[in-house]
Amino acid sequence: MGEMVSVINTVDTSHEDMIHDAQMDYYGTRLATCSSDRSVKIFDVRNGGQILIADLRGHEGPVWQVAWAHPMYGNVLASCSYDRKVIIWKEENGTWEKTHEHTGHDSSVNSVCWAPHDYGLILACGSSDGAISLLTYTGLGQWEVKKINNAHTIGCNAVSWAPAVVPGSLIDQPSGQKPNYIKKFASGGCDNLIKLWKEEEDGQWKEEQKLEAHSDWVRDVAWAPSIGLPTSTIASCSQDGRVFIWTCDDASGNAWSPKLLHKFNDVVWHVSWSITANILAVSGGDNKVTLWKESVDGQWVCISDVNKGQGSVSTSVTEGQQNEQ
Amino acid sequence: MLGESDERGATVGRNWSPGVPASRMKLKEIDRTAMQAWSPAQNHPIYLATGTSAQQLDATFSTSASLEIFELDLSDPSLDMKSCATFSSSHRYHKLIWGPHKMDSKGDVSGVLIAGGENGNIILYDPSKIIAGDKEVVIAQNDKHTGPVRALDVNIFQTNLVASGANESEIYIWDLNNFATPMTPGAKTQPPEDISCIAWNRQVQHILASANPSGRATVWDLRKNEPIIKVSDHSNRMHCSGLAWHPDVATQMVLASEDDRLPVIQMWDLRFASSPLRVLENHARGILAIAWSMADPELLLSCGKDAKILCSNPNTGEVLYELPTNTQWCFDIQWCPRNPAVLSAASFDGRISVYSIMGGSADGLRQKQVDKLSSSFGNLDPFGTGQPLPPLQIPQQTAQHRIVLPLKKPPKWVRRPVGASFSFGGKLVTFASVRTQPQQGAEQQLQQHHVRISQVVTEEEFLSRSAQLQQVVQSQGFVSYCQKKIDASQTEFEKNVWSFLKVNFEDDSRGKYLELLGYRKEDLGKKIASALNKVDGPDVRIKEEKQESEFLPSAGGTFNISISGDIDGLITQALLTGNFESAVDLCLHDNRMADAIILAIAGGQELLAQTQKKYFAKSQSKITRLITAVVMKNWKEIVESCDLKNWREALAAVLTYAKPDEFSALCDLLGTRLESEGDSLLQTQACLCYICAGNVEKLVACWTKAQDGSNPLSLQDLIEKVVILRKAVQLTQAMDTNTVGVLLAEKMSQYANLLAAQGSIAAALAFLPDNTNQPNIVQLRDRLCRAQGNPAPGQQESPKIPYERQQLPKGRPGPVAGHTQMPRVPAQQYYPHVRIAPTVTTWSNKTPTALPSHPPAASPSDTQGENPPPPGFIMHGNVNPNVATAQLPTSPGHMHTQVPPYPQPQRSQNGWNDPPALNRVPKKKKMPENFMPPVPITSPIMNPLGDHQSQMLQQQPSAPVPLSSQASFPQPHLPGGQPFHGIQQPLSQPGMPPSFSKPNIEGAPGAPIGNTMQHVQSLPTEKITKKPIPDEHLILKTTFEDLIQRCLSSATDPQTKRKLDDASKRLEFLYDKLREQTLSPTIISGLHNIARSIETRNYSEGLTIHTHIVSTSNFSETSAFMPVLKVVLTQANKLGV
Repeated sequence: MGEMVSVINTVDTSHEDMIHDAQMDYYGTRLATCSSDRSVKIFDVRNGGQILIADLRGHEGPVWQVAWAHPMYGNVLASCSYDRKVIIWKEENGTWEKTHEHTGHDSSVNSVCWAPHDYGLILACGSSDGAISLLTYTGLGQWEVKKINNAHTIGCNAVSWAPAVVPGSLIDQPSGQKPNYIKKFASGGCDNLIKLWKEEEDGQWKEEQKLEAHSDWVRDVAWAPSIGLPTSTIASCSQDGRVFIWTCDDASGNAWSPKLLHKFNDVVWHVSWSITANILAVSGGDNKVTLWKESVDGQWVCISDVNKGQGSVSTSVTEGQQNEQ
Repeated sequence: MLGESDERGATVGRNWSPGVPASRMKLKEIDRTAMQAWSPAQNHPIYLATGTSAQQLDATFSTSASLEIFELDLSDPSLDMKSCATFSSSHRYHKLIWGPHKMDSKGDVSGVLIAGGENGNIILYDPSKIIAGDKEVVIAQNDKHTGPVRALDVNIFQTNLVASGANESEIYIWDLNNFATPMTPGAKTQPPEDISCIAWNRQVQHILASANPSGRATVWDLRKNEPIIKVSDHSNRMHCSGLAWHPDVATQMVLASEDDRLPVIQMWDLRFASSPLRVLENHARGILAIAWSMADPELLLSCGKDAKILCSNPNTGEVLYELPTNTQWCFDIQWCPRNPAVLSAASFDGRISVYSIMGGSADGLRQKQVDKLSSSFGNLDPFGTGQPLPPLQIPQQTAQHRIVLPLKKPPKWVRRPVGASFSFGGKLVTFASVRTQPQQGAEQQLQQHHVRISQVVTEEEFLSRSAQLQQVVQSQGFVSYCQKKIDASQTEFEKNVWSFLKVNFEDDSRGKYLELLGYRKEDLGKKIASALNKVDGPDVRIKEEKQESEFLPSAGGTFNISISGDIDGLITQALLTGNFESAVDLCLHDNRMADAIILAIAGGQELLAQTQKKYFAKSQSKITRLITAVVMKNWKEIVESCDLKNWREALAAVLTYAKPDEFSALCDLLGTRLESEGDSLLQTQACLCYICAGNVEKLVACWTKAQDGSNPLSLQDLIEKVVILRKAVQLTQAMDTNTVGVLLAEKMSQYANLLAAQGSIAAALAFLPDNTNQPNIVQLRDRLCRAQGNPAPGQQESPKIPYERQQLPKGRPGPVAGHTQMPRVPAQQYYPHVRIAPTVTTWSNKTPTALPSHPPAASPSDTQGENPPPPGFIMHGNVNPNVATAQLPTSPGHMHTQVPPYPQPQRSQNGWNDPPALNRVPKKKKMPENFMPPVPITSPIMNPLGDHQSQMLQQQPSAPVPLSSQASFPQPHLPGGQPFHGIQQPLSQPGMPPSFSKPNIEGAPGAPIGNTMQHVQSLPTEKITKKPIPDEHLILKTTFEDLIQRCLSSATDPQTKRKLDDASKRLEFLYDKLREQTLSPTIISGLHNIARSIETRNYSEGLTIHTHIVSTSNFSETSAFMPVLKVVLTQANKLGV
C-alpha cells in the first residue's frame, strides 16, 4: 500500500486558517486553494515547485470551494463563500482579477461546479438557502442566471455535472450544428437527498430524480467521468458516514440503484473520482483519506489509506525520501 | 459585515420564480402551546414530540391535554409539520425529553419519551407505540416527586439514567431499567427550593448540576453521593431559568437568569467558581430558556421576555444571529440533535416554530398568521367599517425580498476540514486540518495549512506490461516478444493470435501463416512424396528435379506416332492436321482429361479456357470448386461462399494464391463473414483474418466485441496486439498505416488516458498515435504535453490549446472589443478546427527535415523527472515552436484571429508508432547500390499518390498553405548522406515528393505482394549476426539480385513477380552457404560462370551451365537454390532484360 500513494509535493499555502478546498487545473500544473481566511490562492506546482501566482481577495467570509473552468475558456476560476457570493476570477495578461460576482443567494454558497465544456461556460452553484443557481455566460460580459428554488430544504451542499453525453459519435454531427446534448447534474443537500436535474427543451431545469438512501445530510456528490460505457455512476457521501455508489444502466436514465461502499464512523465530507473513473477518493471527518476501487466481483475495496489520522503522519516517510532526492 | 447591501442588481437576467420565496429561515409551524422534544440524533426520520404545556391555556380554553408526534419532512415545502400520531393524555406537562434508551442504530426502537407532570409524576412513553396508534403507550409512571417536575435530563453516557428535579429540593436519579426506585445524588440542599433546571455533564458521566430559581447552582458527584460545589454570584438576582454544560469543556457551564433586572447569561468555570468567567448581556429582559448546540460549542441559543431569540458565542459573548420573531415570548427552545441547523421554539402565543439558522428569506414568516386572521374574521372588513383591510399593510410584509442573514460565523459543521481530489495524471491533492488542541505548539499550527500532491499508482501490472511493450518497440525485439506471449498464452486462441502476429516478423511469413493454419510445406511434401512413392519408387524427388531441369529443352528420344482408327488414331490425325480443338474434344470425350488439358495448352489461351470450362462442367469431385478457384483465380468466390467451418482452408488458399491487390480485401471479407457468424468461436477467429489483412481497425473492433475491455489489463491485452500489428504493417507493407480509425483512436486515447492516470505521462504521449486528426487524441496530446509542464516558450498568454478560446471580459461588464464569440455554441468553432487543423499537422509532421537539427538529447522532455521516453519515442511538448510556426498557415481566413492556430504538438523525433525513422533502420546486411529500398520504410515520408492521398488533399480544402509552404517534402536523409536509390522515377516529377510516384500498393503482412519477400529479408529481425559473404563471392549476390530487380521491373503479370520474389528469397540459401563457405569449388566456379554469362546477358549459356552443375553435383547441396536460379535465368531470357 505504501508505494501506491507517494507524496510528490507539499505546498505550504500560508493560509491563515483552515483550508476548505484544493483543486488542480485541467493540466495538473496549477493548484487553487481556498480557506476560512477568506482568500483564494493559486500556485504553479509544475515540477514539484510551488510558486504563488495569485492571492485573490474579494470574499468576505470563508471560501468553501474553487472550480477551474475548461482551458478553452482561458484561465478561469470560480469560488464560492459563506459570504453568499460566487466570484469568477480570470487571468488576463498574467494577472488574475475578478471578472464577475454573483450575489443571487441568500445564504452560504457551498458548492460550485462548471458544466462540461461542450455546453459553453455554465456554472452551477448550490447554497444553504436551499437554491441552486445556474450561471451561463452569454458573451459581452453578461451572465444569465437561472435559479432552482427550494432544491434542498435547509441547503444544498454539493453540485456535480454529468459528463457530456454525445448522442452518437461526434464525428457524425453535421458540421456547425450544435450537438443535441442532454444537460444534467446532481445535487446533494441537508434534506438527505440527492437530486438529479435535467434541462428541459424550453431551457428550464426540472427535477428528474430523487435518490434516497442517506439518513443525514448529503455532504458531497460526484458524478463519475464518462469512460465510454453506457452506465452512469454517481458517488455520494453523507453526515451519516455512508458512501453510496449509484449506478444507472438503462437508457432512460431513471433507474438508479445504490450500493453501499462503506459506512464510516464519522461524517464523510468529500468524494472524488479519478479521471479514469475507477478509483474513488473518500475524505472523512476523522481527517482520513481512503482510496476505493471496485473489484472484479463488483465489491468496493479500500486499496489505500492515504493518510491516517492527522493527515501528515503516514506519508512522512515517503515525503522524506522525496526530499532526499 | 456580510454584504449588508443587496448587490443583486448587478446580475443580468435574474430569474426569480414569481411568488415562490427562495427559501425560508422558518421551516415549519405547529399551532400548539406545548413543551417539545426532538427525537434523538440516532433517529431517522426526525420527529418532534409535543406535550400540552401545564402552564398555558390554549386558545380554546380547553383543559384537555395531548401528546403528539410530528415528522420533520424537509422535502415538503409547506409550513405544516406532518402529524404522525396524537395521544390523548390525562396529564399536562412541565417538561418533555426524548431519550435514546434501548435505541439501536437502525432506529427500530425509537427510544423513550420522558415527561414531567404537574403532580410529582414522571411518565415514560413509548414513542413507537404512539406512532403506531396503540392505546397502551405508557411504559411506566412514578409519582414520587413533590409538585411539578420541571427539570429532566438524560445522561448521554448511560442513556438509561435520567435525572429529575421538583419542589422541596428533590432530585432523583432514575434507572429506566429499574424505574420503581430512584436514587438521590446526595442530601437535599437546604433551605428546600424548587429545582428548575438539571443537567448532566457532557464530558464526565457522574457529574450532575442542578439549579433553582433563587439563583444557586449545585454540582453533584454521584460517585461521592454529595454536592461538590455550589455556584452563585451572591447577587440574589440570578433567577436560574436555564442551565447548560459546555459540550466540550468539562468544567464550564452557563446559567441563564429570568430576572428582568439581571437578564444575563453567566459562563462559569468550576475551577474559578468565585465569579463568572463571562457574562452575556444581550437580552433586554429576563431569559426564559437556553440551548447549547452539541454540534458547535460556539452556538448558544437563548430566548427571553424581550421576545428575542438570539444565537451567541458563549466563548466570546458575540451575538451571531438574531432570529426574526414576532412580539411573543418564547418559553422553550431546543436544537434538533440530528440536524444541527434546525431549532425549534415554543412561544406563548400558542405556536411551535421550526427555524433554520442558515439564513434565508423571512417571507412567509407571517403569511400563515395573516391567512388565519383573515379566516377568523371571515372577511377583510373585520370591524364593519366599510373599509376592507389592505392585505399588504402589515409591517414588513412588503414586496421587498427580506433576507435574514445567516450566522455571522459559519457553524462548525459546514467547515470542511479535509478533502482529497483527483487531478490529471493520477495526482491526488489532499489537505486535512489538524484538530485544534489548545496546548499545541506553534509548529503544529503551521502544519495545518499544507496541501499535499501525491502520485497514485494502482495498476502495477498494467504499467509493467506497458513498459515492456515500449521496450520491445524500442529495441525492435518483436519476434522474441511474440514468442514470450505465445509461451505465456493461457488460451489456444491467444496463442494463435500471437503466433500470427509473430509470423509478420519472420522470414517466409506466407509459408508460416500456412503452417499455422495447418499446412506445413515440408509435411505436405513428405506426404505427397510418400503417396507418389507407392507408384514410382524411392528416388522420385531426385527424378523430379532432374526431369524439371530438363523440361524446357526438348527431351531427347523418339516416339511412335500411331494413326490407327481408334481414338488414339483420331487424335493423332487431328493433331497432325493442327486441329487442336477436335483433338481436345476427342480427349474429353474419351475422358482423357490430362491429355485434353495438355493439348489445350498447346492450342492457345482461348482453347485452354474453353477446355477448362468443359472440364469443370464435367468433373464434380469434392475439390472441384477449389481447383476451379485456383485456375480461374476467383478467390472471392471461395471466400464468399465457403463453409465457414473451412475458414482455415479458405484463408490458406488466399494466403497462397491471392494477388496482392486483392489479398487484404479477401482476408477482410473472410474476417467479416466470421464476425457476423453467430458462433462466438468463429467470431474470434476473425481476428486472425484481420491480422493477416493487416487491418488494425477491424482487429480492434473484433477484439473489443469479444473481450471485456473495461479494465486496464484487458485493454493492455488489446493494445499489445494492436501495436505489434501496426508495427508489422509498417515494416512489411507499403500500405499507409498512418490512418488511425475512429475505434483505434478511441482505444489508443483510452490507453493513453489510463497511462496518464497512473502518472506515466511520457509513456502516454509515446503511445498516442501521432498522425491522426481524431479530436480526442489531439486534445489528449495537448493535455499531456502541458501536464509535463512544458508550455511553449513565450506562449504564456496564448497557450496553444486545441480549443477555440472563449473570451471572458475583464473586471467590469460591458462590451469588450473583439469578444464576439458566443460561448453557448462553442462546438461550432471548436470541432471544425480540430478537424481541419491536424490534417495539416499530419502533413507537416511527416517532413523529416526538422529531425536532424533536433537530436534527442536536445529535447527538454529528457529533463523531466518522470520517465523520459526512451530514444525512438515521441517527444511531444512544444519543443520546436519555430519550426511549427513556419510550417503553419500564418493567418488562415477561417480562424478567429485571437485564436492560437491550433494544437501543434511538435516532436523532436519520430515515435515508434510512426513509420520507422530512416536513420534508425537496422541493416541486416549491406545492401547493394541498386537494392530496392524496402517499401514500408519509404511509405510514411512518401505517400503513394493513390486514393489515400487524394482523400487527404480533399480534406483540406481551406488549407492549401501547408503543401506549398512545406519545404516541398525534401529528400529524406539517411545517416550517411546516402540518398535513396532505386525509387522508380525518383526525380521525374519536380516539386513532387519522390514517393508520390510510387504506385499505391495495398498490402498486408501476409500478402504475397511484389517486394514482400525482399522486405522480409531486410527486416530488422534479431538474426543479425550472420557472417559476411566473402568478398570474392559478393559478385554472385549482386549479380543475381540485380538480375531479379531487372526482371521485376520488366515483368508485368503478378504471377511472374511472385515467382521472382520467391526466387529472390530462396537465393538467400545460396548466400548463406556462401557465408558459411560450405559449397564445393566446382559449384562455386560454376556459379561464377553463370554470373559472367548474366553480365553478358547470355542467359541461355547460363542455363546450360546451370544444367551442367545440377547434373554433376550433389543434389542435397544445390536443391535449395539451383531450381530458383533456373527460374530466374529462364525469366530473364524470356523477358530479355
